[in-house]
Amino acid sequence: MKKFIIYSLSIITLFIILTYICDFAYTLIYQKSNPRNKLQYILNMNNQNIDVVFLGSSRVANHIDSKVFDSLSGKKTINLGVLGASLNDNLLELKLLVKSNLIKNLILQLDDNYQYTNSTAIVTAGAVPFIRNKIIKEHIKNNLDNFNKLYYLPFYRYATSDHKIGFRESFFSLINKKPKMDPKIGYYPKYGSYPKQTAMLPETLVSENLVFNEIKTICRMNNINLILFVSPYSSKMRNIEYIDKLKERYPELINMSRNYKDELFYNYGHLNYKGSQVFTKDLFLSINGLLE
Amino acid sequence: MLFNSIDFVIFLPIVFLLYWFVANKNYKHQNILLLIASYIFYGNWDWRFLFLIIFSSILDFLLGIKLSKETKKSKRKTLLFISVLSNLGLLGLFKYFNFFIDNFISVFSFFGEQIEYNTLEIILPIGISFYTFQTLSYTTDVYRKKLEPTKDFIAFSVFVAFFPQLVAGPIERAKQLLPQFYKKKTFDLTKAKEGLHLIIWGMFKKIVIADSCAIYANEIFSKYENMNSLTLLLGAIYFAFQIYGDFSGYSDIAIGTSKLFGVDLMRNFKYPYFSRSIAEFWRRWHISLSTWFRDYLYIPLGGSKGSKWLNIRNVFIIFIVSGFWHGANWTFIAWGVLNAFYFTPLLLKNKNRAYLRDIEEGRLFLSFKEFYGIVITFFLTTIGWIFFRSNTITDALLYIKRLFTFNFNGSLQYLSIERYAPELMILVGGFVIIEWFIKKREHPFYGKFVGFKLTLILLGIILLGNFSNVNDFIYFQF
Repeated sequence: MKKFIIYSLSIITLFIILTYICDFAYTLIYQKSNPRNKLQYILNMNNQNIDVVFLGSSRVANHIDSKVFDSLSGKKTINLGVLGASLNDNLLELKLLVKSNLIKNLILQLDDNYQYTNSTAIVTAGAVPFIRNKIIKEHIKNNLDNFNKLYYLPFYRYATSDHKIGFRESFFSLINKKPKMDPKIGYYPKYGSYPKQTAMLPETLVSENLVFNEIKTICRMNNINLILFVSPYSSKMRNIEYIDKLKERYPELINMSRNYKDELFYNYGHLNYKGSQVFTKDLFLSINGLLE
Repeated sequence: MLFNSIDFVIFLPIVFLLYWFVANKNYKHQNILLLIASYIFYGNWDWRFLFLIIFSSILDFLLGIKLSKETKKSKRKTLLFISVLSNLGLLGLFKYFNFFIDNFISVFSFFGEQIEYNTLEIILPIGISFYTFQTLSYTTDVYRKKLEPTKDFIAFSVFVAFFPQLVAGPIERAKQLLPQFYKKKTFDLTKAKEGLHLIIWGMFKKIVIADSCAIYANEIFSKYENMNSLTLLLGAIYFAFQIYGDFSGYSDIAIGTSKLFGVDLMRNFKYPYFSRSIAEFWRRWHISLSTWFRDYLYIPLGGSKGSKWLNIRNVFIIFIVSGFWHGANWTFIAWGVLNAFYFTPLLLKNKNRAYLRDIEEGRLFLSFKEFYGIVITFFLTTIGWIFFRSNTITDALLYIKRLFTFNFNGSLQYLSIERYAPELMILVGGFVIIEWFIKKREHPFYGKFVGFKLTLILLGIILLGNFSNVNDFIYFQF
């Protein structure tokens, strides 16, 4: 029995050692490799002066052709919209950006993301390899219940987000494989048109969004010109009046949610390539006077 | 309690230490501890259904004693009938009631009769199909006088509820398992190590192979209308490995856990995807169920004796019942019928007993005929799994129809799970190679370099395991 207990303990010890080694290796890979997502891209940005930063979800990433906007405005523009990101995720992006870069204009997507204050696994998964970074550590600590496990248990952070930062992603990072969606470009248009599916915006507006308030505060403290906008929805989106309520609360909101033909949409909430080209130009015309 | 849960990681060492250090005075203490542990294990899921297990245990224990005392054949038959009726009655109520009601109503609707009805919100008790068959085997063996009934109620209750194999088998025979609870178990280092190795290998199959395949298979099966033929083929292959990794992984963990307590369970899988014919496949896949059906249904029906027509009838009965055992859905019955069709030609040509010897036995390499047999058998089995996995027979038929359109437009499909469909074949291929080299053993940790092999498998679990997408074991639903 004694031998068996020693044997079992040695397997457990081996397992723990392996988790430490794997944790160390993955972290090193993510720190040293070329960025394969937007969060990594931001972490690699240092001492840059950026005229225009777009933040939001896929409704920014799919909609704003930053190169077109750049050439129209003559201002250095980057699209940091992340598929599935919430305002809280955008807050983390902003905190990391302002730490070592100068930003003049922040153009923020505001729509039904106003309803939510939580962070999503999409961005936090990208952030956990850098959990020792002070800003990321604080952000995760404030937002995730399992912070202690993520911070102290070896490899736990990679195991719980294996779909996003598991073996496949770390292997591609190791060999510096170019990602399907290059974060430097930042604009990932959708192709085709399948606007049959319907969706619904919320009926009521939450009284306040503390995350949004924090974004506004950071902008104010860093002299960033904050511009709010709503991307278009197809006719399949119900309760579009929700946007009117939002506009009532924030009159400065550039409301472009309506008047786009369904053929310009990939689905109810996402424009296709053609739509995004039209929209990028329209948006530029709408906010040109507001840019600093 | 799932084997791949934190609860079990805590539960198992506690029970293990109590078993060998506290309850080690005699077998009665050991049995009491195992019984309490088994009921906690099961009650952790839903304690209410413990009463079903206890009821089955009391009933079959008493019927066993009564059967041994009764000499009149008619009365003995009545006692067996009570056991079969009550056990299958409970199974039928919990598992098949709504299925029969729905189909009954459909038949009436077909003939223009509209009937108002309500189905019941019935929860399927986990493991009911497994322990029901186990207790049935006991009363049947006592009835056939192949087994002396036990007078030890605790030992019998442990036989019914033994936690490592309670919820998904292997379905043990009383003759093999029950006597192990009559004697005090002494600790055997070799057996315990073997158990630990099986648990690790089972975890690898479940967490790395089955759960990875599940991500792809779920995606492809749920959107099969938009997939090309290559992706559909891959989807079926991924499901074949998902169900294999899942169920054989579970069985390995069950057998390994059992060994830690000095109890031997039967082997449930013998590398079924290396089978050279369908008949061989069924000797290697879910062996405890196949042999159960053979002993308690096929042979009583006449087995392979009598005319060819009778033989074929028996084969169809076995496979249809086997399909139905898996779940109350026509897809499982279709899967059973399909396998009966696969099996029948072998029976007619008297080839169902071919390939009793292991692959390459006495030879160094596989013959072309054997290789061809393996490929064809795997292909046929995989087509069968499409019925098993699909929600309806229509879905399965449409899936197969699309598969055979040989549409390879956009061959390497990029799925919405942000993976290319063929990517996982690297892992599946690697797994097949490992299994090929260990096919004469139950797990890879034999011979030289055990430490190195253990390190590699543990590393595989850490690096390739799916921890964010933990799936229940598939066979829990049966």
